[in-house]
Amino acid sequence: MNSLIAFFLIGGTLMSALAVLGIIRLPDMYSRLHATTKSTTLGVIMIMTGAFLYFWYVDGLIETNLLLGAFFILLTAPVSSHLLSRSAFHSDVKPYKLTVLNDLKRDESLPDDTDEPDRP
Amino acid sequence: MALQILINITLAFIWVLIVSDLSLGSLFAGYLIGIIPVFVLRRFLPGRFYMVRVYYSIKLIAVFTIELIKANYELSKIIISPKIDIHPGFFAYPCDLEEEWEITLLSGLISLTPGTVIVAISDDYSTIYIHGLNALDVDAEISLIKNRFEKLIAEVSKP
Amino acid sequence: MTSFLEVVILISGIILALSLVGIAYRIIVGPTLHDKIVALDAFGVMLMGMIALTAITLGSVHYVPIILLIGTLAFLSTITFAKYLERNVIIDDDRDNDE
Repeated sequence: MNSLIAFFLIGGTLMSALAVLGIIRLPDMYSRLHATTKSTTLGVIMIMTGAFLYFWYVDGLIETNLLLGAFFILLTAPVSSHLLSRSAFHSDVKPYKLTVLNDLKRDESLPDDTDEPDRP
Repeated sequence: MALQILINITLAFIWVLIVSDLSLGSLFAGYLIGIIPVFVLRRFLPGRFYMVRVYYSIKLIAVFTIELIKANYELSKIIISPKIDIHPGFFAYPCDLEEEWEITLLSGLISLTPGTVIVAISDDYSTIYIHGLNALDVDAEISLIKNRFEKLIAEVSKP
Repeated sequence: MTSFLEVVILISGIILALSLVGIAYRIIVGPTLHDKIVALDAFGVMLMGMIALTAITLGSVHYVPIILLIGTLAFLSTITFAKYLERNVIIDDDRDNDE
């Protein structure tokens, strides 16, 4: 059981370190969004699971708030990445050397483009 | 499906009354035993047998977890290598699902898949625009999403 | 005194603190505004992991509700920033979705 806790904690920390390496190295904003959504989520989930098992095994307390936090991060990370990438595309953030296709620009405008409300 | 679950819960309570043992364990045992009459009489109740939907939901959760782990493995291979060669691209994916919660599930699943992040959804929910890290073979990605994920979500949502 | 688990927790704490410093680099140097928002979101999420490690080290369970609070606040602020930069309003009232 000790080794299971150690595996979860070290694994989660290494995943977070991988995410930071990705955010520093990758050349483009959309790629950094990939690293944030996938690696940070898994890293924090593993750390929370390790902490939950630690409190259960060593102290005898069952603390399900940690699992709730992990579930919350799993739910909300894709949503924030979707909103950020949509806002970045609308604000003309330049993508990296876009070799293949840009279907969004081909369809000429972002969907649900309502009019700007009047300023007071 | 709601009617089947209601009948199952009623049978669980009747089981507690039969066994005369008012505890949570006998309620749970009554629920498990009550699945059998619902299964035998599934022809006379509306909709599919609801355990099939429960099985597909559990399979969806397993697919979520496996895709997250695979995504991290692929991303680590890209980040650690000394020269980053990615060929990103935006591509459009035609989607056949109707309801809103299905599209939400599908977009969450696409965001946790190796190499794809969702960018925009069109107004009539018919096209999903995706940013991929390796957009060299677009058709493989589109067929993967269509065949694995959309079929699974359609199975969960069929009444 | 130094059992196997305590060494593991110490090493995890050091690596996580170094990665927080690495994220701070991207917050300061980010060519566009959206880079900074992405890095701040990742910073908030990693801070949740750091607080969990602190709760283990100090041996008290009462640090755990802070984790949920920081997660909620980071998510809400990221969404607010993204919606404001896209369209100059945060909650848009003239969209009819129900047909």
